[in-house]
Amino acid sequence: MAEQIIESILVADCGSVVTKLLLLERVEDNYRFVAQTETLTTLNPPWSDVSVGVIHAIEDLEAITGRVLYTRGRLITPRMSIEGVDAFVVILSAPEPLRLVIAGLVREMSLESARRAASGTYTNVLATLLREGSLRSPQETWARIVRDTRPDAVLLVGGVDGGASRPVMELADAIALASSMLPENERPAILYAGNARLRSAVTKLLGDIAPVEVADNVHPTTSTEHLGPAQALLEQHYVEKRLQQTPGVDTLSSWNRLPLLPTATAFSDVVDYLWHREHNEDRGVLGVDIGAATTTVAATFAGRPYVSIYERGIAYGPLAWVKRHGIDALLRWIPEEMDPDELLVMLHNRELRPWTVPQEPRELWVEQAVAREMLRSALRIAIPTWDTGGAQIQAGMMPGLDPILISGGGMVHMPRPGQALLVVLDGLQPVGISTILLDINRAAPALGAVARIKPVAAASALEGGALVSLGTVISPVGKAPRPGDVVLQMSIIYEDGGELDVEARYGELEIWPLLPGQRATLKIKPLRRFDVGLGPGRGGKIEAIGGLVGLVVDVRGRPLSLPKDPDQRRRLLNGWIWDVGG
Amino acid sequence: MFISYSIVNPLTLVRVPRRLPRPGEVLYRAGDSVEPAHIVAQAVDPPDFRIVDVARELDVPVKRVKNMLKVKEGATLKRGDVLAARGSFGGPVCRSPIEGVLVGSGRGRLLIEAEPGAIQLSALVPGRVVETWPEEGVMIETVGAHIQAIWGNGKEAFGVLRVVVRAPRHPIRPKHIDPSLQGVILVGGSRIDEETLEHAIEAQVRGIIVGGVPPSLVPLLETLEFPVVCTEGLGVTPMSKAIFDLLRSLDGREAALCGRMQLRWGEERPYIVVPMPAQSGDPINPEEPLRVGGKVRILRGPYFGTSGTVVDIPPGMVQLETGARLPGVEVDIGKETTLVPYINLERLL
Repeated sequence: MAEQIIESILVADCGSVVTKLLLLERVEDNYRFVAQTETLTTLNPPWSDVSVGVIHAIEDLEAITGRVLYTRGRLITPRMSIEGVDAFVVILSAPEPLRLVIAGLVREMSLESARRAASGTYTNVLATLLREGSLRSPQETWARIVRDTRPDAVLLVGGVDGGASRPVMELADAIALASSMLPENERPAILYAGNARLRSAVTKLLGDIAPVEVADNVHPTTSTEHLGPAQALLEQHYVEKRLQQTPGVDTLSSWNRLPLLPTATAFSDVVDYLWHREHNEDRGVLGVDIGAATTTVAATFAGRPYVSIYERGIAYGPLAWVKRHGIDALLRWIPEEMDPDELLVMLHNRELRPWTVPQEPRELWVEQAVAREMLRSALRIAIPTWDTGGAQIQAGMMPGLDPILISGGGMVHMPRPGQALLVVLDGLQPVGISTILLDINRAAPALGAVARIKPVAAASALEGGALVSLGTVISPVGKAPRPGDVVLQMSIIYEDGGELDVEARYGELEIWPLLPGQRATLKIKPLRRFDVGLGPGRGGKIEAIGGLVGLVVDVRGRPLSLPKDPDQRRRLLNGWIWDVGG
Repeated sequence: MFISYSIVNPLTLVRVPRRLPRPGEVLYRAGDSVEPAHIVAQAVDPPDFRIVDVARELDVPVKRVKNMLKVKEGATLKRGDVLAARGSFGGPVCRSPIEGVLVGSGRGRLLIEAEPGAIQLSALVPGRVVETWPEEGVMIETVGAHIQAIWGNGKEAFGVLRVVVRAPRHPIRPKHIDPSLQGVILVGGSRIDEETLEHAIEAQVRGIIVGGVPPSLVPLLETLEFPVVCTEGLGVTPMSKAIFDLLRSLDGREAALCGRMQLRWGEERPYIVVPMPAQSGDPINPEEPLRVGGKVRILRGPYFGTSGTVVDIPPGMVQLETGARLPGVEVDIGKETTLVPYINLERLL
């Protein structure tokens, strides 16, 4: 059968707050985004139908392009002459996450693995069942938790393969009891990823009460972790229980036969593509997508992709975050004096109106403070799942990452590129040499979805300007006796022959000109055994490409620490904001 | 694009969904008339339960428990009733820790369930049931004033509205509260503080409507028995003039005040509905486009909470103080006009 010619692809990206439509078309030999529209997601009343927003955005797209895309209640696909599109893809992060209870034996082992497996898809971990402390009647407590939280699924783990059986069966027994007390249509699915020897016993005990599915043990031996199969099972449940059940999705699905994709999966595909494009075994590729409700961290090391979803974003979640970490942890990033109550009020009202954007600088500083901390928290979940191998420059720090892709409404709405870059540097604290790419049209997840049907189109759009470079960042790591000590010398040799010799001082953020698209050769010479990813004190020659901010050397220290004195701290923060262009 | 909206309307057709928190029984049918206090649906709360580990309490092997039981499945139990005994008179016994029914046994353990509690859902507004959702609830239609608020403490009530301040910027103070306000819904301007709240509790008011409350008061408000609803948001903020003027015009009328809210996945907003004797009202069209002359409220920035009228929809972008450039409109807010991006506006319908 002849391959269908795909020259135009429409992607609907239904986020928890905003629905975005992107039209990708073949222009001569390349694929380009030719138009995009966005509107509020209509998953909530009075519409309660995600397709209403999509149709509305299609109508806006028709007005912009002058093309007919939608007629008689449906999208025209495949294309008919100049009307309609060849393919239509839907990605979603709008639905409620899978409500999950995790049950296991040892907090630091199987339960930690279960939690990491759960973070691979959109889940909300409601409770953890664990025999801990002096629970007088643990089974009663566990059963009560399962019954009262009414999860979509219980992920039961525990025991290495061939190891403990009785404690796992006690947990299974409590889950069986709780499930039997719920009406049949409210019983959770049981996902078992524990001691492989107990699969049949667990299935026998629970199978008559609730649906049971098994995956490989997440912790098959005391020293190994195996998350893939459990993650795949959870994602399958999310797609079936959430994506496919989202009101209005049936309408969208009736327009095409392509499977629905979770946004995080699509985003991870793009990050994975970038790694394979670079194919640098000594570097990983990182992508972070800060949305209204979640922060996704996708990374690829040595060809192996990882994805973690932190269940807090720029609008939904900061209040809960503050409850746990304290308001000072956010206040420390605000470059002006601000009363904690004022900050709390802003967080509350941001959650009440999540689609709004900062209108004055104080609101912007709060937004950026939240973005920094969401990045940090999301990384804390993601990093333990990575096998960074040769990309690790120094233990306990970020591995070498190039490029780093930044996406999501929380980042691309920042009014100046330097501010976005500063938030990334503060939140991620990269080390070594990295190019920072901004997904300026928030198209990266859409391209991940496109890649599944037309890889060449996704690759062409990615190479053709869908991602904008903020700049090349060099972050040497090491310790110098005093702030102000020179720790790096560098010659910037521009492609027009111009040369600039510069020095970077410990504790400072330095920016040198390197315009978007401009190339330069950098001769780097670290001093005092500082490491730029080439080994302690080792320098070298690298090629760099400019960006909206330029060439950045961040020698502020890793981990970055802020002065305790508020005045001193605010002076420093304002200095950095000034450095990156205000 | 869709622009968000809030309903602030003196006379409209209002549809009020009433849903149980868990599956239950719907007691009315489409076409039935209801009054605020009528119970339209009910459900049972999950019962309390206990697992009694008889084998462990009596220190006997699991297989011997069956012979020691003194009760059978289905038995009604009082707290302290003997469930099992080891040996003859005077030997160790195992007693029921709660009042309930023995619903199951196995592996040396007994499962006792207490009497389930009842959840009753009232109509809250007078009107006509126009739709029923089996096991879930009903949709009630009525005609009257409808105001959507933004924050509520989860409680709801029906009572008489009483505006106790003179301007939307005025907070409710202790001096505004006296015993004559028992059973009424207080309407204030900007906010309420803890001291005033204590006076309101003492006066047994039925509800409170203000522009905003300080975040520090939220934990206390969530423990109250009566609804507290904010029309603008959290923090000290004057009530929108459009809402204050409408509430003032409704002073003395009976109103349903609902403080239930859910921000995501089935969003619910707090609301005020004041039923009117009118036979009909026009339904709200949430997709009505924004036009010059349309009423709006500003959601961010220095004019947060201010309502006004759109006077111009300029082409191109609006420059914000942050440096961002976004499409927007010019809004007349009384003494001046200001440029606001669409995304930071809501239409008042």
